[in-house]
Amino acid sequence: MMEASSTVSQSFEAFAGRVRSHIEVGARFAGLMASANGPATELLAVLSQSGSLVAERTALPEGVWQYPSLTPDIPSAGWYEREIFDLFGVAASGRYPLEPLVLPLASGAGRPRPGSGEELPFVTLDPRAPMTRLNGEGVFTMSYGPVRSGVFEAIEYIVETPGEDIPSLNLRVSYKHRGVEKAFEGLSVDDGVLLAERYEGVASVAHALAYCGAVEQIADVTVPMQAGFVRVLHAELERIVNHLDTVIRHVEAAGQAVAFSRFSLHKERVQRLRARLCGSRFGRGVVVVGGVSGPPAIPPTHLLLDLDEIEAELARDTKLLMSTPSFLDRLRGTGVLSPMTVREYGALGPVARGSGMLEDVRFARPYAAYGRLGHGLLDVLGEGDALARQKVRIQEIDGAFGLIRRAVEELNEFGGPADGKWFVPFSSVSGDALGWSEAPQGELLTWVQVRDGILTRVKPRSASFHNLAMFPFAFPKDILTDFAFIEASFGLSIAGVAG
Amino acid sequence: MSGDLIELALACFFVGAVIDVVFGVTNRMVRSLPYLLGLVGSACLLALGIRATSSRPVNMNFTLLSGSGLHALQIDQLSGLFLTLLFGLSIAISACFVSWVMPANREYHRGSALGYLLLLASVAVILCASNAFLFLFSWELLTLSFYVLTSVTRSSPRQTGAAWSTVGMGKFGGAALLLGFLMLAGRTGSLNLESWHAVGPGALLDVTWVLVIVGFGVKLGVVPFQVWIPRGYPAAPGPARAAMAGVAANVGVYGLWRLLGILRGPPEWLVIGVLLCGGVTALLGITFAGVQSGLARVVAYSSIENAGLILTAYGLALTGSAIHSTALIALGLLAATLQTCAHAVAKSALFVSLANVEAAEGSDDLDQLRGVGRRMPWSGATFGAGALALAGLPPTIGFASEWFILEALMQQFRVTDLPLRLGLAVAAALVALTTGLAALVFLRVLALTFLGKTPTKLERHREHGILNKVGLSILVLGCSLGAALSPLEVRYIASGLKPIVPRAITLGATKSPWVLQPVFSGFSIISPSWLWVILPIAILTVFLATLLFSRGRFLRVRRVPPWRSATSGVNGPSNYTAFGFANPLRHVLGNVLGTTKTVSTYEEEESLESSKASRVQSTVVVVEPVETYIYRPLRQAVVTVARIAKRLQSGRLNAYVAYMLVALLAVLAVVAAIR
Amino acid sequence: MPWIPRGLRNGIVTSGYPRTPDGYGAGFRGTVEVNPDRAAQVTDDVMNACPTHAITVEDKQIQLDRGKCVLCGRCVNMVPQVFRFSESFATSDLHRRSLVVPSLKEGAVALDAVRDSLARRVKSLRRSIHVRHVDGGSDGADEWEVAALTNPIYDVQRLGIYFTASPRHADVLLVTGAGAAGMAESLQHTFEVMPEPKVVIAAGVEAISGGLLADGYVTREGIASVLNVDVYVPGSPASPFGLLHGLLMAVNLLPPTKRAIGSEDCSSPTTWERT
Repeated sequence: MMEASSTVSQSFEAFAGRVRSHIEVGARFAGLMASANGPATELLAVLSQSGSLVAERTALPEGVWQYPSLTPDIPSAGWYEREIFDLFGVAASGRYPLEPLVLPLASGAGRPRPGSGEELPFVTLDPRAPMTRLNGEGVFTMSYGPVRSGVFEAIEYIVETPGEDIPSLNLRVSYKHRGVEKAFEGLSVDDGVLLAERYEGVASVAHALAYCGAVEQIADVTVPMQAGFVRVLHAELERIVNHLDTVIRHVEAAGQAVAFSRFSLHKERVQRLRARLCGSRFGRGVVVVGGVSGPPAIPPTHLLLDLDEIEAELARDTKLLMSTPSFLDRLRGTGVLSPMTVREYGALGPVARGSGMLEDVRFARPYAAYGRLGHGLLDVLGEGDALARQKVRIQEIDGAFGLIRRAVEELNEFGGPADGKWFVPFSSVSGDALGWSEAPQGELLTWVQVRDGILTRVKPRSASFHNLAMFPFAFPKDILTDFAFIEASFGLSIAGVAG
Repeated sequence: MSGDLIELALACFFVGAVIDVVFGVTNRMVRSLPYLLGLVGSACLLALGIRATSSRPVNMNFTLLSGSGLHALQIDQLSGLFLTLLFGLSIAISACFVSWVMPANREYHRGSALGYLLLLASVAVILCASNAFLFLFSWELLTLSFYVLTSVTRSSPRQTGAAWSTVGMGKFGGAALLLGFLMLAGRTGSLNLESWHAVGPGALLDVTWVLVIVGFGVKLGVVPFQVWIPRGYPAAPGPARAAMAGVAANVGVYGLWRLLGILRGPPEWLVIGVLLCGGVTALLGITFAGVQSGLARVVAYSSIENAGLILTAYGLALTGSAIHSTALIALGLLAATLQTCAHAVAKSALFVSLANVEAAEGSDDLDQLRGVGRRMPWSGATFGAGALALAGLPPTIGFASEWFILEALMQQFRVTDLPLRLGLAVAAALVALTTGLAALVFLRVLALTFLGKTPTKLERHREHGILNKVGLSILVLGCSLGAALSPLEVRYIASGLKPIVPRAITLGATKSPWVLQPVFSGFSIISPSWLWVILPIAILTVFLATLLFSRGRFLRVRRVPPWRSATSGVNGPSNYTAFGFANPLRHVLGNVLGTTKTVSTYEEEESLESSKASRVQSTVVVVEPVETYIYRPLRQAVVTVARIAKRLQSGRLNAYVAYMLVALLAVLAVVAAIR
Repeated sequence: MPWIPRGLRNGIVTSGYPRTPDGYGAGFRGTVEVNPDRAAQVTDDVMNACPTHAITVEDKQIQLDRGKCVLCGRCVNMVPQVFRFSESFATSDLHRRSLVVPSLKEGAVALDAVRDSLARRVKSLRRSIHVRHVDGGSDGADEWEVAALTNPIYDVQRLGIYFTASPRHADVLLVTGAGAAGMAESLQHTFEVMPEPKVVIAAGVEAISGGLLADGYVTREGIASVLNVDVYVPGSPASPFGLLHGLLMAVNLLPPTKRAIGSEDCSSPTTWERT
């Protein structure tokens, strides 16, 4: 695995200057994370320079509760600064007052400050209605969520509208903030995987991979090659099932009852296959620190047959769906993201790839066994509409089947590890590192700090954190009836944003 | 006796006007006196109308006003029909007016009563005039009364503009009538209206037809002469709008009916023109009514829509006249008259209740008036009844009349002439679209504004005056229960239309005493009266069944806060605004409305975290095509010509003498050349 | 149009549950079973290894709290003689205490009383049950499992169970997630606007006990700290069959003699020996 190159700046100004200079030469802003180190607050900015990560670090000393905001130059830093204020009480000062993002607390209330190791008693929330920002004749505010039609995660979309158009959209993601980052504190490295898997349940494998990747970097262990294949197998099954879920959401919004049944059936079959492979419908418990818990429970030859059957049925339905005009018409030209927005907000995953930004962590910074398995290139789709995002996902499903087949074949060829151990045990470690993986939603980063085998700070950064921040800008010409399609095409996971 | 009634009425109006001018507006009791006199006068004219409709034409024998030129008043059944309708309404309007002017804090101006009574008087004289001079004279008086009414409250420059456009268009219509009447008088040598029957077909008759349709069309608000209506009506004070829209505008209808009974049939191209013009007027009117944000303008635009509907049905009558089918004339006129009645009653109801609402709330903005129906139950119920009637929903009178118009237009298969058939088909399509949109437009006003929920419970307004309640009740009953009596109404109209078509033919519309059909039998039938029996029974049955099956649980209601997606609260109005509700209309009919939407973002000091889109400004503009593409260039041209002409006015005597010399020479040259 | 034959392609895939047992579950971790005779083998190491402290031993009696068990399988790996995975999904119960296995005899009477009172309450909901799902702070996987109930395999509509948009039409409030503080008000409001009779189901160990997130700064012990729960559906996340079992239990529609269809009685030692 590649280490992220890391620089520590003594002052925030130097830190901000370095971050800006990276952005100026075309780096993508991939994250701003914080960790409480006693009364001080460490800051870690992550940038992606043509696929490889650059980490910039600094620390705000005790008593410093403000720093100059990065948002005016780097729009995608906005949500990070709001999150850091909510969790640490350290405010980005600038021209913009900070609205709460994940944790609305009254000013002066105690903050969780993950990393500090201090307990925070049960808090009293202070939810304030967000400011309106639309002026004009007859405009009104519609709230959509947190309990809305259908089985969805809790989030509130606040639409300000003069009718059906969506000139202004505001989000409130704080409803389902669970305080997971704080819950990591004090866990053993092994227990950490369980929690990482539940940070964003639909991407359990990807989270476990990013988390374990970081821990394995700290412990400096090499995962057995066969374990890498098993990791790819589960990660790609997860990708298929997530992408199928977006297809289901699309066809449900389009009222295509038969297609809905068909794709739900395919998704359920993949879920059942995953359960047969490892006992969990979400691939939980497979990835452990240092490797995997064991080989797939189905012999490779059977597995390949099952896969063939699912893939053939799925391909037939996908082909029909992508030639159904009443479906395509709802997606074409819907929810177009301008290339500038995609760049400014650092879009990730299929959302970015639908707008022509092809970066894929699996191949840019290979982890698990992706390096060995090679990769299929995507067709470049730059339309940036819901249809382009959907086409990307369909291509990725194809690619995932290919990767799984190669991984299973390799596994078949190499057999189990020579010593029979599917994971490398290691003694207690200390240090910190950044792990990554390509979740179905896009690039996933996890920052892990360990002291003597006990976690002090784990900060997963879900791809939805970037994509959801960009969501309000996906309605240039669209009206309320397009909402379901655009939301589905983003394939968002709210749990990963609210934390 | 008949003469006495009309004399008494005119005397009441005159005395009332004098009281208004002399004693002014200071005393509340005195203020209301002219309207009481208006009420009495209206009652006299109503009695006269009822008598005239049911008997043969009567000539007036005056005792008081002999030798005043009023000897040319003659009342036949048609006059009687319109007298009955219009002065029946003006009783209700006057009653509401009395209560409206009473409160001490009412913004009230001297001249309102003058304008109102002048309007009533001139309408009465027009309806009874048998001679062109008297007709045109009172027509001009009517225009004058409109000017007075639209200019009494001069609170803003816009108001002045409204008054000028009202009087300007009124003058234009009057001029067209004058020209048309003079051409007819010139050909026959008589000012007596009846004598114009002698004018034979030819270019002169065709041109006259165009002129009188334009003249009366201006009063009705037919495209492209509708521009004054959405300004003029809202400019008038309170219930006076009802008098303008519900009473005075209908003399335009009367004029059209009268001339159809006198003149020979119009040319075919004009018939098609009238049909299309009617259809376009209806659609344009209702489309713009749907996107207005002021209630007065919504109601005003709906007048334009109804003018279109009436004109379309009139076009069918003209078709009948062109192809010499008396049954078709009867059908067209019957449908149009039913619509006229429905519109007059409903429009009066809307404007009268709107006057109360506006007075109590100080605004006519749809979004600000949210929930006003709950705060003012009397006015709210009246507005609701009027709105449902104009939306054409059963079981109101609007349903019966719009059904008649649609059924009438479907008779186009009886016309063999292809262009006429096409014209009828297009008009029918436009009317069908219009009636559908009308339901949408009035639903918006009713559901979002009158019955809409307010975030906080607001206090009820006191609704003053017993007379107000009487007037409102008359109008509500007219809008609703009137439908139950529509077979009787049809019979009454058949009597009234006797001077144009024989009563027996019009009565073909009654299949049996309580069942109506579009004159031609075997096409379709309807019984609005039966609806009044069956609908309450159906509702009651459903209610009782629910009660029975729920074993009374239906009545035990547990009240919980409204369900709004469990949000912990948002800023800004959280209900659909009336403006927002009209958004699909602005979007779908964007071609008619010329909709442009712009969304712009700008930075503001106090703002959100994002560097983008700190504040968003949304602007939606609609463009009135007639005003923008006809009147604005026209006005520009007129102003330019006037500026050029102004150069001639140098103020020097010698220059003027020179002009006269040149003019004299030119005339001499022309005379010499002709010789 | 071409979709119509496509819908007929695979024939009937729908499960017969609850009328007939469903064969699904090969290798699936439905729940953890306990062999109560081997209490001696459960050392402190085993108890401490459990990430949610679901295992206790008192007076030589092993107690496994299924309301806390996240099915990580550590105990199964450490002492397979005592703990093992079972494919059973019929683990829902009406009483928080009853989730602790092996069940205590004295709990059975209390449970019957609860069952009777719930049965009386939901008598009017026989054939048409409308469910409103609310996310009370889940990880997102729970929503997938709830949504899976509408797929052709589970197809809950065949049982007269429908998901409804408005709580005004709902009979059952199905809550997933750890009961995050931010959702407390929304959950209460949703419950309040539901018509009587109403039933609350807590789905998944996070909803039941908070799971790994118990006692944080925004989470306490699942949604029980916000609402009165009627039915508990364990699982991490609760599987579709588990949810179905819980829903049927909530409206008293489980066939009485086959209450444990698809599973053996998990706490019975005789069953343990047979395998």
